[in-house]
Amino acid sequence: MTGYLLRRLPSAFGVLLLASFAIFLVLRAVPGDPAETLAGSDPSPAAVDAIRHDLGLDRPLLAQYASWLGHAVRGDFGRSYLIGGSVSDLLGQRIGNTVELTLGALVFSVTLGLVLGVLGATVKNRFGQTLLSAFNSVSLVVPGYVTGFVFVFLFAVTWQVLPAGGHESILADPQIGFQYVLMPALVLALPVSAILSRYVKDGIEQALSEDYARTAKSLGVPPRRLLWRHALPNALPPVLTALGMQIGVLLGGAVVIEAVFAWPGLGTLAEQAVTRRDYPVVQALLLFLVAVFVVVQLLTDIAYALLDPRVRLG
Amino acid sequence: MSLSTFATSRRTVLRAAGAGAVALGLAGCKSAVDEKRDQAAPAGSGGAPKRGGTLQIGSISDLTPALLFTQNSLTALHRLVFNTLTGYDPKTLQPQPQLATSWQVAPDGTSVTFQLREGVKFHSGRPFTADDVVWAIQNLKDPKRSAQLRATAAVVSDVSVKSPTELTLRLAHPVSNLFDLFEFMVIADKESVEDAVAGKRIVGTGPFALKSWTPGAGLSFTRNPDYFVPDRPYFDGVEVRIIPQADALLVALRSKQVQLAIGLSGRDVQPVKDDGQFSIRQFDHGSGAVYVGANVSVKPLDDKRVRQAVSFAVNRDRILQQALGGYGLASSTPWPKSSPAYSDATAKRYAYDPARAKALLAEAGAGELSLPLAHLALPSYTVAAQMVQFDLQQVGVKTTLEPLDAAKFQTQLINQTMPALWVGGHGFAQVHPSTLAVSAYPFNEAKNTSKFSDPQYTEIVQKAWNQADADSAAAKAAYQDLSEVLLDRQFVIDLVVLANLYASTSNLQGVTQNLYADTVLDDAYLA
Repeated sequence: MTGYLLRRLPSAFGVLLLASFAIFLVLRAVPGDPAETLAGSDPSPAAVDAIRHDLGLDRPLLAQYASWLGHAVRGDFGRSYLIGGSVSDLLGQRIGNTVELTLGALVFSVTLGLVLGVLGATVKNRFGQTLLSAFNSVSLVVPGYVTGFVFVFLFAVTWQVLPAGGHESILADPQIGFQYVLMPALVLALPVSAILSRYVKDGIEQALSEDYARTAKSLGVPPRRLLWRHALPNALPPVLTALGMQIGVLLGGAVVIEAVFAWPGLGTLAEQAVTRRDYPVVQALLLFLVAVFVVVQLLTDIAYALLDPRVRLG
Repeated sequence: MSLSTFATSRRTVLRAAGAGAVALGLAGCKSAVDEKRDQAAPAGSGGAPKRGGTLQIGSISDLTPALLFTQNSLTALHRLVFNTLTGYDPKTLQPQPQLATSWQVAPDGTSVTFQLREGVKFHSGRPFTADDVVWAIQNLKDPKRSAQLRATAAVVSDVSVKSPTELTLRLAHPVSNLFDLFEFMVIADKESVEDAVAGKRIVGTGPFALKSWTPGAGLSFTRNPDYFVPDRPYFDGVEVRIIPQADALLVALRSKQVQLAIGLSGRDVQPVKDDGQFSIRQFDHGSGAVYVGANVSVKPLDDKRVRQAVSFAVNRDRILQQALGGYGLASSTPWPKSSPAYSDATAKRYAYDPARAKALLAEAGAGELSLPLAHLALPSYTVAAQMVQFDLQQVGVKTTLEPLDAAKFQTQLINQTMPALWVGGHGFAQVHPSTLAVSAYPFNEAKNTSKFSDPQYTEIVQKAWNQADADSAAAKAAYQDLSEVLLDRQFVIDLVVLANLYASTSNLQGVTQNLYADTVLDDAYLA
């Protein structure tokens, strides 16, 4: 196994190295540079040149790359041109906020998905079925930024029970933090919960039509017990698979929802860094994403190798 | 098997609803909304200003520490944390005391002596002295600070400090915009300046001290108990929340989560314009101008008659009403009404006249034209560019729109690579007219985006700048000459002078801004 790992690791590092070079070059091929945006409005060319020199952007590209890479391998991704702080600290803080929002949305998706799925499988009257089906369809097709503004209009402007946006850490003050995360997380969760609820509903209906369920029923097992103890647990594995696939959707959606709710996460940081050509931040963000994919790929390969000896020996 | 056996009973639904209500009730026992309102607290009815409370501000822009010494996009910082030597009365453009209590300008305009306020301290506790002024001038001369008034700072050739509260600046030549510099130049604590431009610690002498900054989220300020203005400020603190989306910022205001919204355009504020709970303050000293730039190296724009034709072809009033929500001043000149260069006659020189535009194009021999038209890809500028495109089409000039993001727009502006025409914004017409010509790059006589060069223009700019007394008859005549040459050459075709807007809850009183659009909260309170 160690031998297999040793064979796989160089290619993973190779991918990271190539990606870092490509990211570096592509960013510089985009018109506009940070010195020009940093010079503010109505700048003089002399000011732009001075800033460019100060940032080291007047050095040859390869020298800039080598210097950035040299620091990056030691975990130092430089300083944000715009914000001034260390890129690693900045990213750490923003990743935390985005993860907080995504986790909140995950909790809501699972809870709502289960409740709606169970209701879908158990509510028998036509009105109830239509209502649930309509709710699911609307949740699925209406984009998050629309739902977001509707929620804000209802709960922050009309009734003023929740903050319209912003962020307070849920760890620092759970009561207040929860109220800030409630709307964005719910908006983010709605389409995912609609998908999950269908898996839950189908799973329960499938389980209840199995022979064992019929036998249990004939043996006098109470319906509630049959549902919660037997049908639901059997319906869950495909739900988990679906949930795994939806985590990416939640992360991607968070980027859009952050803008609607002024949530200071990775999405707003990326938007700001890209539009104002904050190279160190964009480079670190992109490299972080590549690294995530490389690690996931590596873990998958390792899992395959563990399961199938032919892979690690081949 | 029938599903009816599992049917959800009414009791179950009621139980679930009850549990949900309890959960919500528990969650709501401390309300985030009420918390913000309680901080804003001491609202009362009319009468004397109320003391205390925290003002909640929503701002579209965040702090960019590297731009600390420029006219920055985050306007809710400079006049909270810092002071300047003098501050203009926006109506008369006469300097008023701030950190300087009095001053004497030499009759030939080549030196100025300041007496400084005694007993002023930085938020760090260090006393403010004349050495801090000397440092501030040197700091602005540094090109990497990118201060737009660097050209004026560079005129200060020598400084002599007579005492901690008196100093004399000698100038290489007299300049009419000297006090524009002293309105612009914030006095920062020199000992922490590197921390300041790195965004770690920003220290001044102003009414509020910066307590914390969370990039992308907000800034928090506390009252400066040692502020040199007695009994000011009224607020105990100020919280600035960064809300980059205009719609979200407006919602934050409508939900009273913020009492003041900064950075909304005339179009954005339409939903609250007629709502008595909110007020829109319009500062007529201007916030820059929307203009059409012409690249005079592209034929036939080298002929000023073609540029004048473009100017006559554009319906400025329609752009003001439809693209900018009616806030601002449709004008052929860059000057707001408070400028000494402003006149009604020059503002209306290029009143909408498509027939005249066609005649000028025919006179110049410019038949059917097809030109690229770049524009800043921001909502107001995009709409304005589309309107310019429509108007030009009516006089036979076909244009192709080229949207540019802010960074690319800046690159092309600085590198003189703009296409034939572009729609953008410029600043610096709100102070003395010479500042526009020496500090706003589109107007720079030596090098500008339009590639326009004219010895007569250079001479007029220099004459307007090199005035010993900014208010003299000679200076005023020079400003008029500057206005006339700009109107005649039309390499920058001004369309609308923008108004700075503050949208706030109607109980917020006393908020103003200086001529560089920095928010001033010295006298602000919630009635």
